[in-house]
Parts: sequence; structure tokens; C-alpha cells
Amino acid sequence: MTDAATPARTAGSTPARPAPARRDAFVTLDRGSATCAATVVGRVGRRWRLLAATAVPAPAVKEPDALFELLLDRVRAADPALAADLRLAEPGRIPPTVEAVGSLPAHAVVMAATEVARQRLEADAAAAGWRTTGASAERVDPLETTRLATRPDVTALVVGTSDPPAADERDLVGELVALAAGVAERRPELPVILVGAAAARASEFPLGTEVVAVPRPHGDPALDLRAILAARRAGSADARQALIAATATLAEVLDLRIELLEVGMSGALRARAEPGAEPGAPSRITAVEAPSAALGLVEDDAALDRVEAWATLGLDRARLRDRLAELRLAPWADLGGDGALLRAAALRAALERLVAAAAELDGPPPDLVLLAGGAWSSIPAPAALLVLADALRRPGVVQVALDSARLLAPLGTIEDAVERARLLGELVADALVPIGTLAIARGARAGRHAGHLRLTVGDAPVDLQLAGGRLALVDLPPGQAGAAELDFRNPVDLGVRGKRFVVRATGGLAGMVVDLREVPLRLPERADERRDVLASWEAALWPERDR
Amino acid sequence: MSGTPLVIVRPLLVGAPRVRIPLRPGDRILANLGASVVAGDLLAERVRDPRLVETSSGSAASHPGAWIPAEPARRGTAPAGELLFEHGGRRRIATGPHPDLVAAPAAGRVVAIHPGVELVLQLDGTGIPGTELLGDPGYGRLALLPGDGDGRISLEVAHAGAIVVFPGRADAESLTRARAMGIAGAVVPALAERDRRDVVASEARQRAGLHRLAPFPVLILDGYLRRSLAGPVREILAALAGSEVGLVGGPPMLVTALSSGDLPLPDPDHVRVRGGPEAGREGRFAGLAGPRRVTGGIVVETARILLDDGPEAVVALGDLERFA
Repeated sequence: MTDAATPARTAGSTPARPAPARRDAFVTLDRGSATCAATVVGRVGRRWRLLAATAVPAPAVKEPDALFELLLDRVRAADPALAADLRLAEPGRIPPTVEAVGSLPAHAVVMAATEVARQRLEADAAAAGWRTTGASAERVDPLETTRLATRPDVTALVVGTSDPPAADERDLVGELVALAAGVAERRPELPVILVGAAAARASEFPLGTEVVAVPRPHGDPALDLRAILAARRAGSADARQALIAATATLAEVLDLRIELLEVGMSGALRARAEPGAEPGAPSRITAVEAPSAALGLVEDDAALDRVEAWATLGLDRARLRDRLAELRLAPWADLGGDGALLRAAALRAALERLVAAAAELDGPPPDLVLLAGGAWSSIPAPAALLVLADALRRPGVVQVALDSARLLAPLGTIEDAVERARLLGELVADALVPIGTLAIARGARAGRHAGHLRLTVGDAPVDLQLAGGRLALVDLPPGQAGAAELDFRNPVDLGVRGKRFVVRATGGLAGMVVDLREVPLRLPERADERRDVLASWEAALWPERDR
Repeated sequence: MSGTPLVIVRPLLVGAPRVRIPLRPGDRILANLGASVVAGDLLAERVRDPRLVETSSGSAASHPGAWIPAEPARRGTAPAGELLFEHGGRRRIATGPHPDLVAAPAAGRVVAIHPGVELVLQLDGTGIPGTELLGDPGYGRLALLPGDGDGRISLEVAHAGAIVVFPGRADAESLTRARAMGIAGAVVPALAERDRRDVVASEARQRAGLHRLAPFPVLILDGYLRRSLAGPVREILAALAGSEVGLVGGPPMLVTALSSGDLPLPDPDHVRVRGGPEAGREGRFAGLAGPRRVTGGIVVETARILLDDGPEAVVALGDLERFA
């Protein structure tokens, strides 16, 4: 977890980014695990505008020049005069690049004296974005621990105890460190992070082993450890660290409370940013990563159950497992048809895991929920709103927007906070696609008349009867906003409890959605009935799902 | 601008591959660093059911990973094994009975030895990458079963000792039957997760017996969903039929002594459709077709493909792969 009082770039020690503001145009690249998203940004009039954007399979972009040329060709074809003004007319001339790189899956073996310590350490490592395998001296035998820790995909060893060691740890610390030193002897290139009382035993490791000691004598040890682990995992221009910085900046620029939900193939990120108490004060951001919430990750039957519970595809369990395994193998393929439905189900399951893993960020609904990462772009924007409503059952009213061009991560790598804020401020209207306003009310009884909605936009009010257990959709295009009056027959929870609410609704690709389904959502036990219910909701917000 | 660079490249041939043979604590290394090996040379003895034995620290200094010979103990003889670690005057040694033999899957040189972790070989010749290897590395003469259909039909005892290629359907039953017939290994285009588990479980059951068993590696070239062999891969395997090949797992690949220049390569613009409605078809790349909406409502970058067996098709870039 990262908890920062300023929007400065955290941990990743990113080298200075180019300063695109002094140029006519620049290009961005967000290198994800599945796809690479590229944009062309140019100065039009007195502000930066998004001119072109696309995404292609990540393995096809060893060198990004061909991808940039594709976009620049489109800019030249669409507006030759603008291309000439921005000095983009000459083929082969690529403007400065701002790039964010999706973090590679990093795997740490966590060794602890006791099960309690192992669980705590694994939680810290996971929140810092590490995939973990845990072993404790209490449960796993030294042979198995050595085998786990010497696998080729393991890139760090975390060895920890309390400081001072608890009574049940004291006898085991020596043996634990000796075992870890044995692993380090076999894998000399493996960095070892010693936590708690184990930190004092760095001298027991072979010469040449990189040992990082994290004693916990005072302060908030979890945050210290998480920051160190996050810094070790995140490379230069790490996309998730950059997203955290960009979200903090956006909260400042827009003066809104923002929640970011990013889901990708290598993990997921949840961050909450709040603007400073006074104008000009830095925003405050808290973020938690969840590697276990990677899209389509099915490491056990329980994970498969979670996806199956949301699947609207008529697949048996074995076939669903194969489809998900294939999704992990080639996440850029099979995007249409069944592939989109599969991703929607996997995305719901991933989002549920992310929210559960980052429960410490639960709180009142923010003003804006920002959806980021390639997984959200693999389904249409209105369907993304439904996925959000399905998986995050939080009463309240929020605006929802999508980072569809995946500009936020590259812009978040810009070191200079002032420059980053200026760019994001000018590009926010282009970068974020408004999906709409989502209102989730708890307490409306299913199947009953629940109340009435009046949405006033300009001089034309829209009236709608509300029914419990259902979704109510109001067409409200992007760029429009109005006041929505919600009158309920009985008190409901809409973030606060009451019968009558007046909320501001902003338009988007899905318009305004009033969700009167149960909180938490209860779905039929039988698979076919559950599929029918889910499909009926999808049909409302995703009419093109089968076309 | 040519769009071919935006199509995923599937590596078809890897020259002089460096492969790792995984080891576990307790396995005894027989090969020497820098030694040249040929297919079948013994590299290590693999302990089937390793266990931990505690002994008092000997007089000679040692380090984790070192091989500790058997020595007299207070009660009988402490068995030989690999030192896992030493603490408080006691040694923890990984050892076990019934060692299996680990043989070199192809000719090459031992370039690294990490006790209890891996042996690394620099192989001569060429590798054809796959996505996963089930079982331990192995070697044998390559035999290509005919057709794209059910591999069980064409299995016969004449294939004993060979590594057979199932060009079409393969499942756990056919693979288990192949093993029972003395076949040395298999190459399959794809294998469902359930079949993978069954194959691994069957292998584990076989290994639970006391007698030594030859490895039965299964190389999976693609993924989990049923599909036929890609044309360029089929051509290479056909060219290798009858020759000695090895199957290795780190990274998963089929290895041959032939150099890449001796093997057929497809045209640079040859592409295969790996997903979507045209999955399995092959053709020639004819240029980018721009962003198009696909079923489900999302817009993706696409390309025009002149299909070998039909007219031109527009296919999502993500559904295409070319070979190099």
C-alpha cells in the first residue's frame, strides 16, 4: 500500500520524463501485459488535445515506432494542416515519447516462523504488488520451503518475525534464518528482505547476497515494509505507481474525491484520493495493489467459482476453466463475441477480489470512480458501468469515467508535479470518457414500486417510475448534466438514509443508472437461472453483446 | 507503412537453446560443469520421495548444496544426501531412496550446476518452442501420426520408443495409452486443463511404484482449446520425422540436432488466425484494415488476410500470429 500526502511519484525512482509542454506534440505509450495503448497528443489552440489513440497486442510492440507511425498516419490523413502545424507531417519523425510500463509479475517467497507472521507478511507483500507463496516453520517443512524458494520465477525472499520475536517465534528464528541462508546459497542472485527480529541476522547470509533489513522497532511497520517492497517491485516508469500519482493529481485538479479501480493481467490496483483541505494543498492518496485480482487468474477451485458465478456464457466448468487459461495465455486474442462475455465475467470476479483485498479503503462513495487498465476497455463502456455496479455494491451516487485511451499512466510518470497537473488539467476532457452517473440504493423491496425519478436537464424533465430489484436507465448523453430528484416510498440508503434525494447527474455513454437491486446482490443458485438474470441486466446496458 | 510489425511474432525456431533441467534438494548430480553430453548421458539421480534427515555436524566444513557422503551414526548409518542447512550443531540433509535417472535430452554442454535447483545445458542444434511440458525431459525418434482426427486410432506398437506427434485431438486417455505402449513422449497442439491434470496424476501414480520408469514428457505447443497444428510447425515436424529429438521443459521446447537453416521456414507474410470466427485458418497478410467493431461492441485494430482456403477476411490483429 502506498499512502502519500503529496502526489509526488512514489517509490519507482523514475528518471525524469521529457517536458512535452514545450513541444508541439508528444506521443504516449502504456505498455500493458496484454495490450499496448498509444496516443498522439498535440497542442491545438492554447491547450493540449488528444489527437489519436489505439491499442494493439503487447507482444506485437517490441519497438513502438510502427505503432506511433500508424497513429501519426491517421492524424496526417485526417487533418494535414494540423499535422503540418504540429510538425508531424514528415513520416518517420516520432515526437517525444512519454511511456509507462506495466509491472512484470514479481513473485516473492515469504518465510516466517509462525503462521500468524506469515499471513501478516504475505498481506503486506501483496498490497505492495507482489505475488506471494508463503511458508512458515510451523506448517511447511524445510525441504518444501527450499523447493518453493528456489523456483526460477521467484525474484525475492522475504523472511520475517515480530520484533521482538513473540514467544512462539523465539525457538524458530535461528532455524528459519539458517534455512533462508541455505536458499540464498543456492540462489545467490535472490535479494533477501529481513523483517523484524530477523533483520539483525544479516551477517548469517552468504557474502554477495543482497540483504535488506527492515527492523520494526517503532513507527508504522506495515507501511515501511510496503513502501520498500513496492519500490523493489516497481521498475522505472511503473504503470501502477504512475496511476497512483496521476490519480492524486486529478483529485487536485478536479477538486474531487476520486477512486481508481484498475484491473489488468498482472494484478489490480485500488486507490482513493482526496483533494487537500484548502485550495492549493496537496491531495492525499491511499492505494492498495492486489496481484490476486489479476484478470482471469484461476489458481484454485474457489477462484473458478467466483468467475462461474458471473458467467453468462453457457459453458460447463471444465470448458470455462480452459477458456480462462487461454485468456491468460493470449489475453489480446478473442476479444469479440464470447470473448467479451468471458472478460465481463472475469472482470466482475477480479473486481470483487480487488475490493476485498483493499477493504481498508472502504468508505463513503467518492465523487468520481475512475476505471483504468486494459481490462475495462475490453468491453463497451456502458457494460463496464454494469460490471462496476454488480461487483461493488456500495450505496451512493457516483460519477463514473473510463481512461479509455490509457493516458493516465504515461502522464503519471511525469516527475514535475506542476507540469503533470497542467497536462492532466488540459487533457482530462479528452482522456476520460464519461460513462455516466451510477446511483445504488439499498432497501428498495424487489418487485415493488419503489418510487419516482425526475431528471431535469434544461427545460425538459424526464419522469420515470422506479421498481425495486431492477435497474432504471435514463438517457443522458456525455456533456449534459442536470438535477435528479429521487422520491422513494420508503426510506432507502443512498449513501445516507432518506426518502427524498436531489443529486447531480452527469451524462455519459450509459447515461444515468439507478440501481435498485439488492445490496449485496443475491443471485439464483441454479446456473441457468443465474445466467438468465445476469443476461437480462446485460441486455439493458449492453444491447450489442450478441451482435 | 507495412502493418506486419504489428502482428504478434511466434518464435518458430530457437538456435542453440539454453535449457534448464530442474532438480530438487536431495538429487545427486552426476554431470560435471563444462562436460559435453549426448542424448541419454546421465546428468543426475533424482530422489523420488525426498525426506529430511538430521545428523550432527561433521568435522569437515560444508555449505548448503554440498553432497554429504554416508557416515556411521549412533544408530546405524546416516544416509548420503545433500546438505540443506546447518543450525545449532545439527545438519539437515535431504535424502531418499529409489533414485530415478535424469538423462540429457539432446547433445550439448553443461554450462551451470545449481545443486537442488537446476542443471543448465547449452544444447547444439535448434529448438521449436511450445507453451508447456508435462513430465520430465526425454528423447526419442520423432513420429508424426497421420491426419487431424483422433490420435488414438493411429497409435501402434511400432511407435514404441518414439516421440509421437498428435496433429489433431489428444486427451489424457490417448496419452496414457501411448505411455502404456512404450511410447517415449508426445507432442500435442493443445490439451485441456482437465487432461493436463489427468496426465500429471497418471505420471505421479506410475512413479509411486518402486521400479524405475522412463520419463514420458508431453509437449504442448499451443494452449488449452482444441486446435490443429499450425502449418509451419507441421512442416518442420514433418521434416524432422524419423530423426532423434528431445523434449525439454525449461523453456518448453522440442530440440533437434539440425540447424535452423536445415528446417523449412514459412514466408514472412504467412499468418495464422489463432482466435475469433476464423480460428485455425492460415493465409497471407495483405495490410492493415483499420479499427473495426467486432461482435460484442468493442472496436479493435484489424488486418486483411488472404486466406489459403478462401477469400479475403478481415481479422482482429490480436487474433493473428506470424512465424519467425
